[in-house]
Order: sequence, then C-alpha cells, then structure tokens
Amino acid sequence: MGVAQVPVAEGKSLQQTVEILTRKLELLGAEKQGTFCVDCETYHTAASTISSQGQTGKLMYVMHNSEYPLSCFALFENGPCLIADANFDILMVKLKGFFQNAKANKIESRGTRYQYCDFLVKVGTVTMGPSARGISVEVEYCPCVIANDCWNLLMEFMQSFMGNHTPGIPSVFGTKHDSIYSPADTMVQYMELFNKIRKQQQVPVAGIR
Amino acid sequence: MLPCPENSECVYLLRVITNFAGPSPGIGLMLEDCTSLISVSAHLTLKKNAILFSFSELERLSNLVGKPSENHPLHNSGLLSLDPVQDKTPLYSQLLQAYKWSNKLQYHAGLASGLLNQQSLKRSANQMGVSAKRRPKAQPTTLVLPPQYVDDVINRIDRMFPEMSIQLSRPNGTSAMLLVTLGKVLKVIVVMRSLFIDRTIVKGYNENVYTEDGKVGYCISSNIKFYFYLVTDHATTALLHYQLPQMPDVVVRSFMTWLRSYIKLFQAPCQRCGKFLQDGLPPTWRDFRTLEAFHDTCRQ
Ligand SMILES: [Zn+2]
Repeated sequence: MGVAQVPVAEGKSLQQTVEILTRKLELLGAEKQGTFCVDCETYHTAASTISSQGQTGKLMYVMHNSEYPLSCFALFENGPCLIADANFDILMVKLKGFFQNAKANKIESRGTRYQYCDFLVKVGTVTMGPSARGISVEVEYCPCVIANDCWNLLMEFMQSFMGNHTPGIPSVFGTKHDSIYSPADTMVQYMELFNKIRKQQQVPVAGIR
Repeated sequence: MLPCPENSECVYLLRVITNFAGPSPGIGLMLEDCTSLISVSAHLTLKKNAILFSFSELERLSNLVGKPSENHPLHNSGLLSLDPVQDKTPLYSQLLQAYKWSNKLQYHAGLASGLLNQQSLKRSANQMGVSAKRRPKAQPTTLVLPPQYVDDVINRIDRMFPEMSIQLSRPNGTSAMLLVTLGKVLKVIVVMRSLFIDRTIVKGYNENVYTEDGKVGYCISSNIKFYFYLVTDHATTALLHYQLPQMPDVVVRSFMTWLRSYIKLFQAPCQRCGKFLQDGLPPTWRDFRTLEAFHDTCRQ
C-alpha cells in the first residue's frame, strides 16, 4: 500500500542499514516469509514512430512483482497502467520495432518479505546493474481495501520501525479517494521510487555506497 | 368416693358412713367402728398428701420447662438447639449454615437482578413488566415464522442503513442466509434460523464469500488471519448480548446497528489509549451501548 525509500543511515553502509531495519522488524515480532522481487525494464518509443506520429518520445515501463507471479505490468509515467499476463514480455520482443528496450536502465528491488499480524512488509535493496542504489520499504495492510482509510494506521505501524523516516502520504492516494486499492497502485509507487533513484544516480549523492 | 383397693377397712368404712345416714345402729358397735374409722382416715390423709406433692412437683417442673418460645428466629426448628445429642447429629449447626448461605444467595441475586434490569435489551432482562403489557401475545412461536415475514423484516432493516447492503438468499432450504456488506470495509455472512441469528462470520471486503456454484458459503476459510477472526469473535459475543426472545426483529436490528459501527473500522483510534495499533491489531471491539472503538485489551 505504501512504498517508500529509506535513506542510508549516517556512517553505515547500505547493507547495514537494511540489517538495522530488519532487526527492528524481527524484534517487533514480524516473521520472515521468504523473499520478494520487483523489477522494472524501460522501453523507449522507437524513433520511427515518433517522427510519423509527431509525438515526443514516451517512456514505457514493464514491471514484474513476485507477489503477482502470473502478471506483468506495463506503465507510462503519469499514464495508464496495463495489467497483462506474464507472457506479455514475449509480445514486447515482437514489438521491437516500436518499443526498444533500454537494457542499461533495468532496475530492481530484492529483499525479504515479512509478515506481522495482518501487515505485510517488504524491505528491499534497489540495484541497478551491478551496484546497489538504495533501500525500499513496502508496507501493506491486508484487511483494508481503501488505502486512505488505513493510512493513519499504517503511519503508526511504520513509525514503530522506521522512526523519523516514515514517509508522507503517497501521491497515488490523493487521486484514489475511496476507490479500492489495486496492485497497479503499488506498481506506480515502485515506478516513481525507481525513477527517483535513477535521478539520484545522475546527480551522485555522497553517502550512498 | 371409690373404695380403697388395698385395705378392706375402707370397705368397712363405707358401710359405716352409710349406716350413719340410715336408722341408728347400736352404740357399742359404733365405738368399735370409730377406732377403725380413725385409722382409715389417717391412711387417706397420707395418700392425699402424696398425691398433692406429686402435683406440685409436676407443676414446678413444668414451669421450669417453660413455654416453647414463639419469638425464636428459627421458630420450631430452633428447638433443635435443645437436642442434647449434638455430637452425633449436628443438625442444628448445619441448619444455621444453610440459612446463612440462603440469605447470602438472596442478597446477591437481588443485586444481580438490579444490574441486569438496567439494560433492557438482554437475554436475561425481566420481561414481566412493560413488554408483557405492550405485547400481550408476543408471537408464541417465533421459531416458525413465515419466510415472507422474515424477508419483510430484513428488507426494512436494509433500508434503514444506507451504507450497509443486505442480500438475502436461501441456499440450503428455508433458513435465510444474509450477506451483509458494510461500505468497503467488510462482509458478514449471517446464518439465520427463522428470525434468530444463528451464526456470523466476518470476512474482508475483498475476500471471496461464494462457493463454486455461486451460493453464499460460510465455510470458506479466511486468509486474513487476525483481524477478521477477532471481529467474528466479537460478533458472536454481540449475538449473545442482544437477545430478546419475544422480539427477534428488534434483536436483528440492534445487531445490525452494532455491526454498522465498524464502518470506521480502520479510521477510529482506540478510545482508551488513543492509538491505532496494539500488538499489531487495530481496535476491534465496539462497545455495545456507546459503539465506541476499543482494543480488545483496552475494553473494560
Ligand atoms: Zn487501546
């Protein structure tokens, strides 16, 4: 429901910061439940289509989430989110003429999945190519389908292990009002987080190793 | 006067006395007779004294015994205390204990009935007074109500709460099964027996409540472990709380009113500690009267 980036603690490595977070969760009583992975590939609109239709080049992101192993998500920035079957990837290969894969931009978050009562917490290390770039924390409250309804409750929970790095309300919530939260909303948040981390790479920040 | 059985002289005396009354006999005979008469009268005096003594003794003793006191708190059973064979049969002490406990019981029963009568919508509420007057013949067979009546009552309740939708079906014969959807918060499967709520199961809004053939099913397991399990628990408690056998429709309405208080399920912090979470669980309990939210551990 909420995806946030946690900055690396001062004087600690990225790996150490992840360990601090997970230890706090375990002390709280959260149980380890395997691993998770969210990946994202970037596609450029091929040059030929831009010229013929007079559009500016748009980026498309094709994402996978281990929580939904049979699905594939295709998103535009600020645009619609398409939820397709997992073999959507093969279709993308066939569409090579229109969408070109920017292989170097592939980014993913891998980590441990925790369950605490009805909360689902995923603490992941965001890597791009060979290097680790940041830490992502996803928190979901399973019984509730309206994200805005349980945001205060989520905040209280996140404060218990994230302290003052607890994020503000995600922008996706603002447009949701009281419609039902969907997996696509999670993917949009991951996409925004990945984009933020990519930009950090362009302007290197001291302290991230 | 009866003849003395011990002494023949007494028989003689009688004869003498009758002779006195009759024609005068010889004087010689009289003298002779007088001596024996004197001895007879002495004998009689002795006997009379003995009898008198016995009487006064009896009177004295009976005074000692006294009247069995009527103002004894235990009345006649109090006399058991006079039983000299205490050690063998401790009846009296046992009796006193029994009285003591019966008094205590009565006192506590009085207090309890006072407390229970404060809440009129209770299973144990006293129905003798008001409702008996208002409904002299309160449907004696509420267990067998026509299905149409049940439908009407449910429809009326459905219209009462706009944020709550009640869908009635009869998947297994005559007993109604309600699927109550509360906002976008939760779903409750209510199994009815006539107009009595038999069982409730609380499910998440996004959980499946239908069996494969499209009927409402109540045995589909919930994968959200804690939260709805607890609410199901509380709903069962609520069922036991809202009991009024003569007015089953009131019970269903009260239960639904209580259930509706869960509409702010994830938005209401605990009214006692002010927090949302305690041990990872939100306030699952709703007070039966005020409908305020509390953690299971924070309720009184
Ligand atoms: Zn509380």
